[in-house]
Amino acid sequence: MMRVLVADDEAPARGKLQRWLSEQADIEVVAESQDGLGAAEAIERLKPDVVFLDIQMPGLSGLEVAAQLEQETAPLIVFVTAFDEHAIKAFELNAIDYLLKPYDKDRLLKTLSRIRARPADGSTRAAVATARAQTQSHDRLLVPVGETLQLIDSATVEWLEASDNYVHVHTSTRSYLLRRTLHDLLEQLGDQQFARIHKSAAVNIAAVKAFTPLFKGDYEVQLRNGKVLRLSRRFKDQLFARMGR
Amino acid sequence: MAVTHLDLAADRQAARSRLSRPDIALYFLWGMFWLLMLAVGVQDYLRNGGTRLWQPILWEGTSLAVATLWVILQRRVDRRYAVYLDRPWVWIGHHAKWMPLIVLTFVPTVFGIRHGVYALLGERYLHEPWSEVLFYESIKLILFYGLWMGLIFGFDTFAQAQEQRQRLLALQKSLAEAQLAHLKAQLRPHFFFNALNTISALMQVDVPRADRLLSRLADLLRATLQWGDKELMSLRDEMHMLELFAQIMQERFADRVTLSWNVDNAALGGAIPAMLLQPLLENAFKHGVERSRDAVRIEVEARRDGERLYIAIRNSGPLLGPERQDGVGLRNCRERLNVLYGDAAQMQLKQLPDAVEASVTLPWQEHRA
Repeated sequence: MMRVLVADDEAPARGKLQRWLSEQADIEVVAESQDGLGAAEAIERLKPDVVFLDIQMPGLSGLEVAAQLEQETAPLIVFVTAFDEHAIKAFELNAIDYLLKPYDKDRLLKTLSRIRARPADGSTRAAVATARAQTQSHDRLLVPVGETLQLIDSATVEWLEASDNYVHVHTSTRSYLLRRTLHDLLEQLGDQQFARIHKSAAVNIAAVKAFTPLFKGDYEVQLRNGKVLRLSRRFKDQLFARMGR
Repeated sequence: MAVTHLDLAADRQAARSRLSRPDIALYFLWGMFWLLMLAVGVQDYLRNGGTRLWQPILWEGTSLAVATLWVILQRRVDRRYAVYLDRPWVWIGHHAKWMPLIVLTFVPTVFGIRHGVYALLGERYLHEPWSEVLFYESIKLILFYGLWMGLIFGFDTFAQAQEQRQRLLALQKSLAEAQLAHLKAQLRPHFFFNALNTISALMQVDVPRADRLLSRLADLLRATLQWGDKELMSLRDEMHMLELFAQIMQERFADRVTLSWNVDNAALGGAIPAMLLQPLLENAFKHGVERSRDAVRIEVEARRDGERLYIAIRNSGPLLGPERQDGVGLRNCRERLNVLYGDAAQMQLKQLPDAVEASVTLPWQEHRA
């Protein structure tokens, strides 16, 4: 059984997709969302296999939702759009599934059979990566707050701490726990702003105050908030080169 | 358009850094002219029984060297006078003012060099008395200068006409592109394809509603094609188009938006730039409805205030980011008002306690079809 989420801000558009998808024996529509944030929350909560994401939605666009997903664990994504020349060009280039409004049943069925035939390969990764490239996904981070999700400005993040498949996102005021790998998070945030300091931690370069050498080539990183972290020699050269030392 | 401007600037830069084709032709002609002068000089010398060939070569050579120096200097200054090319007398005047300086320096320099070379060879340069030389050579120089000024004028005029033609072509191209972009903006592909999708969804469940929406969309498309290239239309027609647009949007977002119209009948006969208000209403939907999760109220108001026409479109919700205040729709609206009315018309976007208001005020003018 394929579990599907439909996200579109227009009720008639959701209805059309819902109706046609429900006719398929192997598909179950698990939820409908009418905006980007709702879609992101539903993906987090219900873990659907496939998401039909309309691009133009209130709050968070479909591309922005996709950009915030973890590449490894994201559902298969089918973008739906009326007219987005740039995005469509990118989808074509990266062989990403999309539907152009208005679409007929044949076109939808074709997309469905493509999805069924798809092994869990790199297509989801490509969809997330493309969405990240199309949006300013390194500026904003979607974090869980209680039962809901909230966007925070990534500049407010001071450092990131990984533990297993989770990352603690530390800002000056509080910490958030994300179920993502540090690697994936850093890929989204980009290496302009953040740098890894050892296997399971990364810092916002703007939050660094000083370095103190330890023995054996390791260093101590002192943050502006007083926090002291360890910089392993494996990441030292990269970081110093970036900071112009 | 910006790209085209850059292209033009780059072209001009390139033209300045290398010799243009007319310049090359000019220097070629200059070279040929002096070869001829040299040939005549040598011929004349030999016919008069001269035997030392270096003498006529020296005479012509010194004249050539000094004159060429002057031409090169002149070419640098010429560019400054290019703006006067369409007023030949002014152009000639600007060149003629250099003549006394040329006459005063040319003959002494040329004869000075000749005397110097003769002295180095241990000989004496014999020529007519100085008064005669000065008089005769000055007349020759003035004729010569006039001839070349005429030629340079011709060359530069031609070059300028060529450049203007190029610029005109580029301008026409960018204008055509701008018109296309304008048309595309009016047709609003995003809006149309979304509306088509709504129809495609509705016709599965509610054929009469889908049918109604389809004819609304056709009406709007027809009106867009009819009014799209007009400068002014009546507020009545503009409001009709707004209604069509709003009806379609309401079909799409029936669950999230309520609309109210507060239009004074006395204002309907007023003239307004065609389709000025649509981008404003579209913005109200886009930022009020498409970006908000809550139900949104949109209000359209129009009235005549004495000699002014006032129109306002409000949507509930907070003012969103700078992208709304500087969006393409709003910018186009401002530019059109500015072109048509100058300072007499205003367009404003402001935050009210619980809504965002876009308002337009323009001079009252009765619309004549």
